[in-house]
Amino acid sequence: MSNQQTVEPTQVVEVETIDSVPEDLESRRRFLAKFGSAVFAGLMAPAVLSKEFTPPVEAAEASPSRRFPDVPVRLPPAIELDEESSVIDRMLADLRRALEKRQRGEKVRFGMAVDLQKCTGCRACTVACKAENVTPPEVSYNVVLEQEVGTYPNVRRVFMYKPCLQCGNPPCTPVCPVGATWKREEDGIVVIDYDKCIGCRYCLTACPYGSRFIDLGKSYTDPLQPYEQIASPEYGENRVRATGQSPVGNARKCHFCLHRIYQGMLPACVETCIGRAIHFGDLDDPESLVSELIAKRPHIRLKEELGTDPSVYYLL
Amino acid sequence: MERQNRLLVSLGWTVLLVVTAVGLGAVVIRAVRGLGVTNLNYIVPWGLWVAFYIYFIGLSAGSFLLSTLIYVFGYKKLEPIGRLALFSALIALLAGLFFVLIDLGHMERFWTVFKNRNWWSVLEIEIHFYVLYIIVLLAELWLLMRQDLIRCAQQGTDWRARLCGILTLGSRDLSEASAARDWRIVRILGLLGIPIAIGVHGGTGAIFAVVKARPLWYGPLFPIIFIVSALASGAALLTFLLAFFAGRGLDPEQRRDLVITLGRLTVGFLLFDLLLIWSEFSVGIYGGIPEHVEVLRLIMFGPFWWVFWLVQLLFGAIIPIFLVLWPPTGRDPRVVGLAGLMVVIGIVGVRLNIVIPALNLPVLPGFHEAYTMLPAPTQVVPALTETQIRTVTWLVVLAAIVTLGIVAAIAWAERTGRPAYRQALGVAAMVSLFFFVLLLVLRVAGTSAALGVSVADLTRTPIGGVFGRTEVRSYYTPSLNEWLSSMGLIGLSIFLFVVGYQVLPLETHEGH
Repeated sequence: MSNQQTVEPTQVVEVETIDSVPEDLESRRRFLAKFGSAVFAGLMAPAVLSKEFTPPVEAAEASPSRRFPDVPVRLPPAIELDEESSVIDRMLADLRRALEKRQRGEKVRFGMAVDLQKCTGCRACTVACKAENVTPPEVSYNVVLEQEVGTYPNVRRVFMYKPCLQCGNPPCTPVCPVGATWKREEDGIVVIDYDKCIGCRYCLTACPYGSRFIDLGKSYTDPLQPYEQIASPEYGENRVRATGQSPVGNARKCHFCLHRIYQGMLPACVETCIGRAIHFGDLDDPESLVSELIAKRPHIRLKEELGTDPSVYYLL
Repeated sequence: MERQNRLLVSLGWTVLLVVTAVGLGAVVIRAVRGLGVTNLNYIVPWGLWVAFYIYFIGLSAGSFLLSTLIYVFGYKKLEPIGRLALFSALIALLAGLFFVLIDLGHMERFWTVFKNRNWWSVLEIEIHFYVLYIIVLLAELWLLMRQDLIRCAQQGTDWRARLCGILTLGSRDLSEASAARDWRIVRILGLLGIPIAIGVHGGTGAIFAVVKARPLWYGPLFPIIFIVSALASGAALLTFLLAFFAGRGLDPEQRRDLVITLGRLTVGFLLFDLLLIWSEFSVGIYGGIPEHVEVLRLIMFGPFWWVFWLVQLLFGAIIPIFLVLWPPTGRDPRVVGLAGLMVVIGIVGVRLNIVIPALNLPVLPGFHEAYTMLPAPTQVVPALTETQIRTVTWLVVLAAIVTLGIVAAIAWAERTGRPAYRQALGVAAMVSLFFFVLLLVLRVAGTSAALGVSVADLTRTPIGGVFGRTEVRSYYTPSLNEWLSSMGLIGLSIFLFVVGYQVLPLETHEGH
């Protein structure tokens, strides 16, 4: 309790600028306690609480069947599309439509179309993801697979960005002994409840795509630098890693930056991709960019024969 | 002689206690520092501990199924080991559960499996099987010991009698009728226990068999292999226990007969197990699906080829089968008991080869290079050179051959009837066996990443050329903590077993 009180004065000012502050005192207490537990509270709080990383606060309230983020959804700005519009604008418009559908209570199915011709193998997506989700060593929600094809002089490198494929029929979720991971019906994203996960790693063995990782509690720096102790905005929960506390010891995976999507932002990897190779949107929306690309371009999905029905399409 | 024995026993206790204490220390370190003390990673997320988990669950299910031969199918010849079988099943199950526990990323949440439900998870179903299984085991054991516990409580006033008194749970009925009733209930429990025990280990196999991401695991044969190898290991464990520790009160001739029967039973299960392994490997290789063949090649010719050829096949199957079936050695209960021990150890190799190689193959081409945060094996400075490791490897082979030769010599000496040679050769066999185990340990320690040895250097192995080499490297070797924790938990289980054996009336003859 004393911890909360010492932190409160510095925090309140910041928090009050956020539009989604909980009204009742109790939930605000808990919200503050989350930040209060951070070692760097005084130093880093302003950065963490900047507008960009606003957590959907209600989501932090653990309900019996947790639905993160149980949002005050924030729509992306309405953009007038024309011939000149960028891919990003198009995807933001798609996202706006998808979120509007969600607000009406309709289901969406988020997916990706990755243009293998455009990927340069720069790995900005991997870096952006690490920065966004503050993932430790040996956890990387997306990776870029690399293969050399042919022999000199006819040789080229193929790069393949691979996040979690958010399977339509995921093999990783039914195996969980505590039901800590599931595919969300409303938007098709496979999530993990860190507070339920017991860290048995069955899901790591069950994923045919290597999209799940175990947080072994390792860190990049020793002594820990402040940037490793930033709260991760994942699932809008703002957890700071510490020994013995989730997500340390849990399975972790890509969630298409759920916390960003519902705040009207594209996943970090999509937004950062320098070649605009990664396209994100609602697969159930026939007018979305991803639907259009999948319909027009030849494509493959990984290990389709396993019946996993992945939501990530690779455009050839 | 008596004094020597006592010395040996106290030495055994000291070693056991030291190993257990050090090992449990490692468990504490693991509990405090988390999974970071292991060498597990995102490519091989299950390792030594999971291998030991399925090993002990298998031992348990095997012992239990053997006990049903007596209590359900009325195979009275084995009755003297009935309670021992049930008790070792109980302890082995506990050992298995210890290993699952320390393998969890959040140990403190283990109990939530009873709260957070996912009925479609094989692991969740298994946990329920384990609970039912423990209930059946405890009930059967109690019913079988009930009358002996009452007698034990009535006979003395010391702490053991008092303990017996508590364990009787207030039962005082020593009548024949009540004994007959106990037997009837045990029979029903045993009958219920059969599907449960099959569920316990077949289901443990199903944990792996349903994983379609791993071609080696995925398939209907896997749960069956688990059950058969469980039966083999259970029978082998009882053979060993009976030959060297249990059954003191039995008539020597009866005991010898029993050991040999159990030894033959073990061999029967082993041969069936070998048939299944043959089926698995030959069909897999014939099919030629790259992900499947690569894993099989990794098992046979990868960095840990010797686990398959030497531990699993030679030490754990071929030599024991030979020892039991060849009349000159198969008549000596001590040799048969030794064969049982060899099978019990060899099955560890089977379990390791089930868990690790299948995971070691990256799920997508290039996945292992895509993200380089794994400790790169090639950058580690070897503590032993490749030549040294290879030398040790060859010495292991040599020691195995020498052991085999000496055993053959014993048999020959017996046939020609020269008892003086027999004793000398017996000692030589023990020494040779000791060196074999020592060298194996060295080989393991030598390749352990804990000692900083590069496993990448080991991909080229002496017999790797037979079918061509596999270039897949190993992403996982157990860390020092994993080894020590395992030893600690195994030590603890042995300790529990010995204490239970000393205190509880597990021998049928007692009080009769």
